[in-house]
Amino acid sequence: MSLLDVLKYRWRVLKNPRAHELETGEELDFHVHLEAMQREHAGDGRISSAEATREARRKLGNATYYREETRRASGLQFFDTIAQDTRFAFRTLRSAPTFTAVAIVTLAIGIGANTAMFSAIDALLLRPLPFREPSRLMAVSLTGTPVGRGGVARDDLVWSYLKFQVFRDAQTVFSDLALWRESMFTVRSTGDALRVHGEFVDSHYFPTLGAQAALGRGFTPDDDRQLGGSHLVILSQELWRAAFNGETSALGKILDVDGDTYTVLGVAPAGFKGLSGESAFWIPIASMRPEWHVADDPWAQNFFAIARLKDGVTPEHATSIVAGIGRRIDIAQPDTRGTATPTRFGATARLLDATRVDVQARRILLILFGAVGLVLLIACANVANLFLVRANARRREIAVRLAIGAGRWRVIRQLLVESVILALLGGVASLGVAWIGTRMIASLHPGSALRSQTVSGVRIVEFVDIHLNVEAFLFAAGVAIATGMAFGIAPALKATRPSLTESLREDGSAQRAALRRFSSRDALTVAQLALAVVLLASSGLLMRSLEHLLQINPGFDSDHVLTFQINRAPAWSRDSISKFYDVALARLAAVPGVAGVAVVDCPPFSTCSRAPIVFHDRPPVAHGAEPVVGVHWITPSWPSVVRVPLIRGRYMMRTDDLDRQKVVLINVAAARAFWPNSDPIGKTVSVGGPDTATVVGIVGDVLYESMIEPAKPDVYVSYYQVPFTYRMMVFVKTKVPPTSIAADVKRALAEVAPGFPAYDFRPLTDQFDLSTSDVRVSALLISLFAMVALGLAIVGTYGVISYSVAQRTREIGVRIALGATTTNITRLVVGHGVVLAAIGGAFGLAGALALTRLLRSLLFGVQTTDPLTLAGIAIVLALAALAASWIPARRAAGIPVVRALRGG
Amino acid sequence: MAKASAPKNDLLKGTLDMLVLQTLTVRPLHGYAIAQQIEGLSNDVLRVEQGSLYPALERLQKRGWVTSKWGDSPTGRRARYYTITAAGRRQLGEQISSFDTMLAAINGVLRRS
Repeated sequence: MSLLDVLKYRWRVLKNPRAHELETGEELDFHVHLEAMQREHAGDGRISSAEATREARRKLGNATYYREETRRASGLQFFDTIAQDTRFAFRTLRSAPTFTAVAIVTLAIGIGANTAMFSAIDALLLRPLPFREPSRLMAVSLTGTPVGRGGVARDDLVWSYLKFQVFRDAQTVFSDLALWRESMFTVRSTGDALRVHGEFVDSHYFPTLGAQAALGRGFTPDDDRQLGGSHLVILSQELWRAAFNGETSALGKILDVDGDTYTVLGVAPAGFKGLSGESAFWIPIASMRPEWHVADDPWAQNFFAIARLKDGVTPEHATSIVAGIGRRIDIAQPDTRGTATPTRFGATARLLDATRVDVQARRILLILFGAVGLVLLIACANVANLFLVRANARRREIAVRLAIGAGRWRVIRQLLVESVILALLGGVASLGVAWIGTRMIASLHPGSALRSQTVSGVRIVEFVDIHLNVEAFLFAAGVAIATGMAFGIAPALKATRPSLTESLREDGSAQRAALRRFSSRDALTVAQLALAVVLLASSGLLMRSLEHLLQINPGFDSDHVLTFQINRAPAWSRDSISKFYDVALARLAAVPGVAGVAVVDCPPFSTCSRAPIVFHDRPPVAHGAEPVVGVHWITPSWPSVVRVPLIRGRYMMRTDDLDRQKVVLINVAAARAFWPNSDPIGKTVSVGGPDTATVVGIVGDVLYESMIEPAKPDVYVSYYQVPFTYRMMVFVKTKVPPTSIAADVKRALAEVAPGFPAYDFRPLTDQFDLSTSDVRVSALLISLFAMVALGLAIVGTYGVISYSVAQRTREIGVRIALGATTTNITRLVVGHGVVLAAIGGAFGLAGALALTRLLRSLLFGVQTTDPLTLAGIAIVLALAALAASWIPARRAAGIPVVRALRGG
Repeated sequence: MAKASAPKNDLLKGTLDMLVLQTLTVRPLHGYAIAQQIEGLSNDVLRVEQGSLYPALERLQKRGWVTSKWGDSPTGRRARYYTITAAGRRQLGEQISSFDTMLAAINGVLRRS
């Protein structure tokens, strides 16, 4: 077999090149030996054996040369030269430390930043959700009709247990569908208590997601039926290990969840964390306490729904069918609250994958990806420039090497080896940058960074899931390195073309190229500067927006306020609610460090209740055409706890009780909108119902839904007068850091209301930060990219200008000899930089005006043509040009005339 | 690298390969014997320089046309014996036939036939 022979031969040669060489030597020796014997024999005794050997050697000629020829024929020479090239490349790179360092840093930043950003995009937007056939999963939501004039229809409402039953029984397009909601729990087995996330689910949850218990069994429809019973729990693998050491005997054991005992039924498969993405265990919805009225109150809208499409049903078809079925919900569960305009419910479905990150977060991620792409382009331009400059600078060296006999291929290979080594070094460095970058992005938890809470409740996509993405790394590395190679090799190819004399002459074509008005290097530099300007503009606009946002007075003081949610208390009657507030608020106010306590139904920066308002001091308007106001339930102390100022009239008081005339507070916006020319105090209104109430006070505007839009008319009603228990958030004004007394507050509440669900403790400032986080995160990252881009562009400009100074040494020498002053020369060189910056700036601004439109949804209080930002960019660019050309300019001005003219 | 000036009777590379393969068709030989054979069979018209022979042998091995093995020579010293492979024989056949074609063509041009 010939191929086998070939391989055997190659293997033998490569396995031990030294042995192969020795054998070749031995073979030649043997040849000489035989030749000598032959001669001695032919000489018939007249020639001594020593003489014959000498003769034979002479005939052989240059043994070393033959040996080398043999070696080359054996294919070993290739490896010799590669080793040589590598050694030589390292020497050359070491001899040009600035070039090497700049190239490596450029590659590292360009590749690393892109890898990190793409890793984030991949984790957040692209990677399939961790369920079986995730593309067949749909999130199903309730829809609501708009309330009053100017109201917005909701299509992302959560389900109540009863409404979902209606939908489940009627639907035809899903093979399975399930209800779930997430909550925080304290669990205890044998050791310490753990604070963990858990999910309430029905028995369809695991089958719908395609997950099967790794141990034990899942929930059955029977477990859904025993309302208030069913104290069963399925553990995640993590909790199983933490609480039961991962032992099989855990099945049937008891887990304490918020003081109730649950029997371990099974263990979820490895890696399964539920739709909330962080669930440690699952318990049946049926295990919720009957007092919570979850299963028998059609208004207890608490649950997200997830559904799996039947085979052959398209998502579009399903969505249209779901809309039809949605109409049956009102028939089965009509709105009986007696409001003037009852809410009409419906249903809608959307692919789960489309809900993984909200629209704004998705947009931000893509904008950031675009920005980091620009950084890669700049890095490529920089690398191209560096290699171009370097290859040109080495034309002479290459010409010399060709002249003394190096083959063209040999020279090109040498350059290739150099590029590859540089690329590898840059690649390794960029891995470091990418690693740090992914860590940094991963540390931005979605709760405090980008809003990722979405319509479907899905938070599977966590920033901590961001891992270094190998494909992204290879892509970015490939692009950057190919650029370097292309720009490094092309001039080399040109240089290795036969016309040697021109390159060897000192003022050859290189010099002429430098004297050309606008070289390809200049073009690359202009491109870099232009791209950097686009990023600078984006960063400037976002920074200005952030500045505006932070200057906004939200109308309340979030400092030193601890907030937490409480759920509807056991079996409250209309009368017992007031008593509960009195007792609970008094007990909480007595906790050391507490300065004030209040309850509110809707914290700032969330979607609050809205209702039509009817004025009794003017003729009635057509039904359904009433203006809409925000309705906020508060306890009387609320305005003082968050320092909402009283403008006129009085605050609410505890004495404004159930049996007294109802009172409301209105905000300034409402006073202006509804009583522009009269005093609202003492006027009577009805809000969302038939009861009339008197306006007793006007308070300052509070920005509830958006920091960006002006306050809308709001009305405050008292929990004492309008009992409402679906949503309660306690605000505790503290004298100490708010979170430090969270445990005390919780304990105090448990004293007066044992078993009362209180959760989600956090400082109010978190809410505030959250409301600006999208602008904050994008401003921060884009500014970082802009800085990097500007840095690269400055380095690129510096490289080009120094190169041009080096090329023009003689010309500058002549100028000096003819009387040019230091200032003249400096101006000449700096002028070059300024011209590049001006052209780059012009292109960049044009590009920025076109591209920053994409940012519009993130901008606030600033136009894309913001003069301050544009002026800032001009100044930054001018400084950059100056920084990049100053050192070369000084060098040029200091050129010794004699050396310059001699052509040194 | 300077080009080696070709000795007068040095053989064209392809031709040398063909001759080497031909000498090996009868039995395995070492390098010196191959050179001797060629010189002897051509009545000393063709001279094989070591500088061409050994690189040629490496080349032939690289292509899988011959293999080599160390063995004892009649003088008692170790020698490398070359053996033609099946692929080598095929190659030889092709080379001879194309050589014949070329020879006929050259003769045709010289109007000798």
